[in-house]
Amino acid sequence: MLCRTKIAAVLLVVTLLATACAPAATPTAGQPPESNQDALVEVGGTPADPGSLVIYSGRSESLVEPIIGQFADLTGIQVDVRYGSTAELAATILEEGSNSPADVFFAQDPGGLGAVADAGMLAELPEGLLNRVEARFRSPEGNWVGVSGRARVVVYNTDKLSPEDLPDELNGFGDPKWQGRIGWAPTNGSFQTMVTAMRQVWGEESTSEWLEGILANDPVVYENNTSIVAAVGAGEVDVGFVNHYYLYRFLQEEGEEFPARNYFLPGGGPGSLIMVAGVGRIASGPNEDNALKFIDFLLSPVAQQYFASQTFEYPVIEGIQTQRLLTPLSELDAIDIPLGSLADLQGTVELLQEVGALP
Amino acid sequence: MESYAVKCIHLTKKFGSNFGVQDLSMSVRAGEILALVGPSGCGKTSTLRLIAGFEHPDQGNISLAGRDVSGDRRFVPPEKRGVGMVFQDYALFPHLSVFENVAFGLHECSSEQRKNRVMEMLELIGLADLGNRYPHQLSGGERQRVALARALAPQPVVLLLDEPFSNLDADLRLRMREEIRAVLKNINATAVFVTHDQEEALFMGDRLAVMNQGHLEQIGTPERVFQHPETRFVAEFMGQTDFIPGEVRAEGILTEIGLLPQLVNLPPGENVELAARADDITFDAHALGKSVVIGRQFKGALNIYRLKLPSGRVVHAFQPHTCVIPVGTSVDVYADPGHALACFYQGQAVPVLEEREYLPLGNYSSSRN
Amino acid sequence: MAELIEPQVFHKQTRSVWKPRTLLPGLPEMALLWLPALLVAAAMLLPIIYLLLRAGGADLPAWQWLLRTRTLEILGRTILLVIGVTSAAMVVAVPLAWLTVRTDLPLGRLWSILIPLPLVIPSYVGAYLFVSALGPRGLLQSWLEAWFGVTRLPDIHGLPGAVIVLTLISYPYIYLSVRAALLKMDPTLEEAARSLGHNLLKTFRRVTLPQLRPAITVGSLLVALYVLRDFGAVSILRYDTFSRVIYIQYRSSFDRASAAALSLILVAMTVVILVLEIRTRGRSLYHSASATASRPLARFSLGAWRWPALIFCAGVTGLALLVPAGLLLYWLVRGILAGEQISNLWLATRNSALASVLAAGFSLLAALPVAVLNVRRPGRLSHLLERVTYVGYALPGIVIALALVFFGANYALSLYQTLPLLIFAYVVLFLPQAVGALRASILQVQPSLEEAGRSLGHGPIRIFQKITLPLISPGVAAGAGLVFLTTMKELPATLILAPIGFKTLASGLWSAVSEAFFAKAAAPALLLILVSSLPMAILIIKDQNKASSQ
Repeated sequence: MLCRTKIAAVLLVVTLLATACAPAATPTAGQPPESNQDALVEVGGTPADPGSLVIYSGRSESLVEPIIGQFADLTGIQVDVRYGSTAELAATILEEGSNSPADVFFAQDPGGLGAVADAGMLAELPEGLLNRVEARFRSPEGNWVGVSGRARVVVYNTDKLSPEDLPDELNGFGDPKWQGRIGWAPTNGSFQTMVTAMRQVWGEESTSEWLEGILANDPVVYENNTSIVAAVGAGEVDVGFVNHYYLYRFLQEEGEEFPARNYFLPGGGPGSLIMVAGVGRIASGPNEDNALKFIDFLLSPVAQQYFASQTFEYPVIEGIQTQRLLTPLSELDAIDIPLGSLADLQGTVELLQEVGALP
Repeated sequence: MESYAVKCIHLTKKFGSNFGVQDLSMSVRAGEILALVGPSGCGKTSTLRLIAGFEHPDQGNISLAGRDVSGDRRFVPPEKRGVGMVFQDYALFPHLSVFENVAFGLHECSSEQRKNRVMEMLELIGLADLGNRYPHQLSGGERQRVALARALAPQPVVLLLDEPFSNLDADLRLRMREEIRAVLKNINATAVFVTHDQEEALFMGDRLAVMNQGHLEQIGTPERVFQHPETRFVAEFMGQTDFIPGEVRAEGILTEIGLLPQLVNLPPGENVELAARADDITFDAHALGKSVVIGRQFKGALNIYRLKLPSGRVVHAFQPHTCVIPVGTSVDVYADPGHALACFYQGQAVPVLEEREYLPLGNYSSSRN
Repeated sequence: MAELIEPQVFHKQTRSVWKPRTLLPGLPEMALLWLPALLVAAAMLLPIIYLLLRAGGADLPAWQWLLRTRTLEILGRTILLVIGVTSAAMVVAVPLAWLTVRTDLPLGRLWSILIPLPLVIPSYVGAYLFVSALGPRGLLQSWLEAWFGVTRLPDIHGLPGAVIVLTLISYPYIYLSVRAALLKMDPTLEEAARSLGHNLLKTFRRVTLPQLRPAITVGSLLVALYVLRDFGAVSILRYDTFSRVIYIQYRSSFDRASAAALSLILVAMTVVILVLEIRTRGRSLYHSASATASRPLARFSLGAWRWPALIFCAGVTGLALLVPAGLLLYWLVRGILAGEQISNLWLATRNSALASVLAAGFSLLAALPVAVLNVRRPGRLSHLLERVTYVGYALPGIVIALALVFFGANYALSLYQTLPLLIFAYVVLFLPQAVGALRASILQVQPSLEEAGRSLGHGPIRIFQKITLPLISPGVAAGAGLVFLTTMKELPATLILAPIGFKTLASGLWSAVSEAFFAKAAAPALLLILVSSLPMAILIIKDQNKASSQ
């Protein structure tokens, strides 16, 4: 009896707690929010009531929360962010349809943006915003824009290799001497975007050959870029195909002695691809003005400087100082492919499955 | 006009392929203990559960103290019937003390009344100072008594007992039987008592109801059921019975062990069976005897002999414990019942028309034909 | 804890076992039992409905894909993993249960508490830590290299690693179930065997083990379905299973339709496993040994076998608990020393605990009608309702989450992304655990107790309240504890369905792990494990006290 009443009491108390502490969003803004309950009414820019904004972010909280917080502080807008993985958030937005509470989709890679755009859910962005970045860093239909760049690189173990040992082109890694020394992540979005670029530039045949060449060298499969860099540093593998900025994270946490460095392929092929993390406005989102303000903010020098210095990515607008260990964008012989044309991930996935890189 | 505590009319319940209960009609008078007895699966527990309300009958009516509780339109749920039940495994609530167990059915009383009643019941069963104990701290016999007290506390219309002694050891069983019966009689309770042990039934019941394969075979006082079984089954079930074939004659029934002077309403020449018990048969050692002793079982107070008749049939006979006749002795076997033996024609009892006076021992012996 | 899952080993009654009661359902029973049970079952079918809707939109190539040999290969690998982990978990759990219950194992109480605890470790954390600690170039290797010059440890990735890690995390399901059965077993059967000349091992094999079969089967069911749905561990350990294929559909192809089609295959596999489970479980006998004072269980003396037994227990718990916890502590300390800021995790902890408590409570409420009907009104419908609750158990969390996004955003917008919907998601995800625990407890309450109560004038509802509920409350608590800890570590549904800004320990942990901020990840991980362990530890200790006092 006692036990039963105890359970009942606990449940009651807890339910009260739950309703009392209503799950009001803990806003990332510092300012006490002028609460705006009516999410369907479009918020005007009246200073007394800056309104709210809902962001779905595929970029992790630890990376982008500071800059979003800054935006919220500056504008007084109550910003609510849902963090998750880009793909799962994209799927969520697609399932939500026009009922989606999201105003902005901040994605890790163009693939997710493409999927949402294909369903017609991204609104066309104003010319003013789009023109701030190069054509290759935005969607050809104008419904998303990149906000920070990441270069494909080969990370290598400095204890075992020096830059001269590394081939100029990705093709070089098909050589049998690389047997068992390569790490890659075929499930990773950036890798798949790179393979899509390969298919465009080299054609299906050659891409397939390249993949098979790498597979013949028994590459070690990782889940994401982070694991590859960690593995290279640990000496588990000697080289890995990753995005450039992960290394800096490790350098920061482990120190300069961390035995890995980035190698930018000079050949100018698909291995030198610059990709972007991007943002798009959900067409059915209620807070159009605030969404545009946010995108505008991300492309402003403040935010771009943040990306350059804090997350070690490439800024997409002119005139921003990049991290000292980073080869400036202008010096990279990057391949000039519009990212919008790299949206066909389905074809890439099928190719990867065909050659056996993906199950 | 007697009042009936329980009345069942044409009660029928099928349990899948089991016999269940078939067209059972019986009544229990107020203040009477009815023993419901029969082999496993005969339907006695089913009947009990039907009365209690734990099963829906397919057909038939049940009324308790004049009130219809189960019938064509009505079904009163168990909690509203005012029926007390003692389960085979006692079903004492393990998380409640003895006091709380007994008090469980008294929720409609004030707490003062409840306390008094519980103490009264505990005294009745002789466990007045065990009120604070828990079931797992009690012995088997004590638990059983608590179960009884609990069932009796709300003064039920009828008390149903489902083989309550089967989990006790033999000597405890005998003692508890007496105690429980005394308690029940003390408070003039109406009870239906289910058992598979005919000896227990004979002891406990004011009346006996014998069931077999869902049917009620016979209902009556223990003596009646024992001495005048109405069917072969009842005869066989109640006590060790030997069936001896006989032929109807004008002057009685002729059997291998003598002519029994009982008249039946059947033409002469018809074959019947007589149910003989061990005390109905006796024998003498005789050098020219046609039967032989094939076994002896010493039961302390008496001996039970197994005798093989000339026809090869085996019968049983009592002898005093001092009378020891070795196995293999030739004997003369003859009937010496002192009363009419139950007589069956094609399985059904045939009433005895006239009981002639029985002549003393020795006049009808097989060896004197 | 003793009542967690399916003891099912009982005295045979000397009389014929009672057939199910045939009282027709009255109105209260309809309203309180059947209707809620049907609603619960309908709720559990929501993900399946969603899958059917989505899969219908899959274009032909997706279906053709299903017939490729690589698909069959993946299926084969998945089945191999399921069989491997289930077998390994049995091999680990059954002896552990037997050692802690039936022998005089030294430090028995300590082991009883430690052994089930690995359940609190999320699989993505466990796998990651395992690799970091024991991988070919992990922590252990670096220490060994420093001392012994070992440059490379054997590779634990692939099937062996996956089996080891998943076994270590899921064996408690079987352990808890078998332990409960052992505690309720009739020792006289074993004594009879011993008297007939069987030694310890033979007795165990021929008498004890068959009696434990139902318990083992039920625990194995949870293990098998857990392996099917797991994605985190197998991806880190580089073993391609079906769940991984589904994730690729979501992550790479953004093809929800194909993902749905593949998920339906998972559902089909679940159904097969469910059928197998019924076959092997056998018919359950009702009625446990009643309140009869059971003799205290005879404990075998291990003698010299004590040492191997101790090593076994220590080995398992060490690998399953100490390695992850130790590594996390190491990262945490290292991070703090390097100046890492430990963020304020109070809010996240409170949110996690709150959500988990609510999930536990509502799961039990939802499980109640299903379990009661299944035990007290056995029949085709009530059995079907119970089986339906398992149907979605093997689906990866993302599938359930998206199903509820679909229904929530399109049909229940006011509830969408609110705490109630999240709790609903948890209930859908973890209901089978609650149903299993409740069912096991109710099976132990003899029907005659309830009948006795009714004959004493109390209606069915009061009987439930005053008799059944108190008697099953240990099992209720155990079930609540289990749902609590599985909810604490749940990730995909939380990320997608939680109200925006509702931070939990799991989401904080994931966020840090995905960016390789290990020091940042260590604190929430340790907190998660600690908070999850508390209820379990309390329950186990309470259980221990009860067992020793009897």
